[in-house]
Amino acid sequence: MGKIHIYEPAMCCSTGVCGPSIDPELLRMSFIMNNLKNTDVEAIRFNLTNEPNVFVEHQAINELLMAEGMDCLPATFVDGELVTKGGYPTNAQFAEWSGLSEEELVKKPKVRLSFKGDA
Amino acid sequence: MERFTRNRFPNTPFLFFTGKGGVGKTSVACSLSISMASERKKVLLISTDPASNLQDIFGQTLLNSPTKVKGTDNLYALNLDPEQAAANYKEQMVGPYRGKLPEVVLQNMEEQLSGACTVEIAAFNEFSSLLTNPKIVDEFDTIVFDTAPTGHTLRLLQLPSAWSTFLDENTTGTSCLGPLKGLEPQREMYKDAVAQLTNGDQTTLMLVTRPETNPLKEAARASSELFEIGIENQVLIVNGLMQSSSEDAVEKAFISRQSAALETMSIDLKCFKQYSLPFVPYSLSSIDRMQAWMTDEPVAHVQQGSNSLLIPHVEEMIADYLTRKPKIIFSMGKGGVGKTTVASYIALRLAEEGMRVHLTTTDPAAHINWTLGEDQIENVTVSRIDPKVEIANYEAEVLAKASETMNEEGLAFVKEDLASPCTEEIAVFRAFANVVEEHQDKVIIIDTAPTGHTLLLLDATESYHREISRSQGDIPISVAKLLPRLRDKNYTSVAIVTLPEATPVYEATRLQQDLLRAGLNVDWWVVNQSFALVDTKSKILLLKRLAEVKWLEEIKQKSGDRFVAIPWVKEAPVGVTGLHALKGETVK
Repeated sequence: MGKIHIYEPAMCCSTGVCGPSIDPELLRMSFIMNNLKNTDVEAIRFNLTNEPNVFVEHQAINELLMAEGMDCLPATFVDGELVTKGGYPTNAQFAEWSGLSEEELVKKPKVRLSFKGDA
Repeated sequence: MERFTRNRFPNTPFLFFTGKGGVGKTSVACSLSISMASERKKVLLISTDPASNLQDIFGQTLLNSPTKVKGTDNLYALNLDPEQAAANYKEQMVGPYRGKLPEVVLQNMEEQLSGACTVEIAAFNEFSSLLTNPKIVDEFDTIVFDTAPTGHTLRLLQLPSAWSTFLDENTTGTSCLGPLKGLEPQREMYKDAVAQLTNGDQTTLMLVTRPETNPLKEAARASSELFEIGIENQVLIVNGLMQSSSEDAVEKAFISRQSAALETMSIDLKCFKQYSLPFVPYSLSSIDRMQAWMTDEPVAHVQQGSNSLLIPHVEEMIADYLTRKPKIIFSMGKGGVGKTTVASYIALRLAEEGMRVHLTTTDPAAHINWTLGEDQIENVTVSRIDPKVEIANYEAEVLAKASETMNEEGLAFVKEDLASPCTEEIAVFRAFANVVEEHQDKVIIIDTAPTGHTLLLLDATESYHREISRSQGDIPISVAKLLPRLRDKNYTSVAIVTLPEATPVYEATRLQQDLLRAGLNVDWWVVNQSFALVDTKSKILLLKRLAEVKWLEEIKQKSGDRFVAIPWVKEAPVGVTGLHALKGETVK
């Protein structure tokens, strides 16, 4: 099955909750990535803050950065091919690559919320 | 109460000073270090205060490695500046990529490393490496930490437990600590640092306070919080205790305020050994004076400055506010100088003049209720931003939102991100923005936390603000609007509160510079607890007044002649009547 590699700008944290507001796009991404864990798709996010060396060594992304600057991020490569830049892929695209339905990707199982403060 | 003398010096290898800013932590830590060093002990004095006062006292620049103090034999000092530590860390992370990635990309990386997380972790890193470095520890008999103001100190000391829990639970490897990938190898070092801190044979916590109600409450709070963390070997030092048998009314009032405050000392503090250090009317601004203070030698008094300085009353500032009508007023300054008192006074007076006022605080050690007392004042509403409550609210909000789009596994992930220290900064910042938003129709008077924290908050404001301009999240309007308002001179006014003494004036000066850099406009300087406006025949208080002149002149110059003074008052300024006494004499 395919390899989905997403190259992201520097962020304080990976879910995007670490900021004055919650970016639904980032939430959607961490959610989809978590669901893809249960498939044989290799989905990886590379963050500029954590792994700058990846952005140096990966030639295609490095050239893209040199040419277009930060605006090209996030950029997504599927099996080595650049498929989207400047934004995350749609649920439909993820469904196509992973074989999961869009419903499965964004399925909402029952959630029990327990807050740290309750402990 | 027994006087603190050299045969009472603790004999643990580590001494930690804590206490509200302005109670004389630096003076006590410094004098003690000088005394110990003069007994042939090799002493290292470490300041973790971003605005190190030690440099002023020793008259030399300190580095982040032990430097011998001029004019002493065995005393070394070191300045651990958290901001600098963070800057070094940032360079360590970003430096290797210069030339390999475009400049804009490097800037993006740097900005992400400019948060409060980075400063704290970098500072703690330095701090732990000192505590656990055999080279340093074995080289000195005693290591004295003159820590930052209380709130910051607590955070610094609470970090080890927070971080170790966080590291234990952090399974995905991406989080706020993402950029701190080098953290894992340090785990052992952090554990060792905590072990040293909580070992009574290794560490003594010196709680410094003044014989005044609020500093004593503050000391009790800090004491029990640190006790809970496991730092149980504590000693209380009441700094500035006046002994007198004078008949002067002001001096008698001074003594009775002192005694009344000491009577309110909490039972928790009474468990520990208590010592006092005498009130002196001169500033402890040199090594000679510090030695004299420890050994009760007389000090020659020289008047510096003129006799004819005109000192404006605080009502001048109130009149200015009534004319200009700013919407946000910050009362800023180090802890212990009376920010809360000044904020409360402004709120009371503006309300009495018919304005609708909202008084709030972001100080973790808030005590507005202690100042306004039991009085219900018309036109004034009061709120407090409690970081712990704000974090809980913020988490609930985030998780509720996240649960709309996420499964349990995803939520676990979000929770993990929320367990980071950044969360507190954000939660507090949002709360602060909401206060401004909710009270549009009122003048908002904000009593802020001590310097370091205040600046972190503003820094956070700044970086979130930059973040906002490119983020796609749904931003609370209050947050988006806040920063430009803070920088608008007509909208926001800053009053810096200080005392007419060396250290508070230095600190206020630095604060003013920092605020200017952050784009905030300093409007007024308020000199609290001045004897210049007090009618007294007390010898010691007249000497104190003499010592004030130099600082008042300095303040006049630094404030561009926009300063007012509040007299020392006979009764603690609590409630409407108590606050009115701050007007001083002859003001209608």
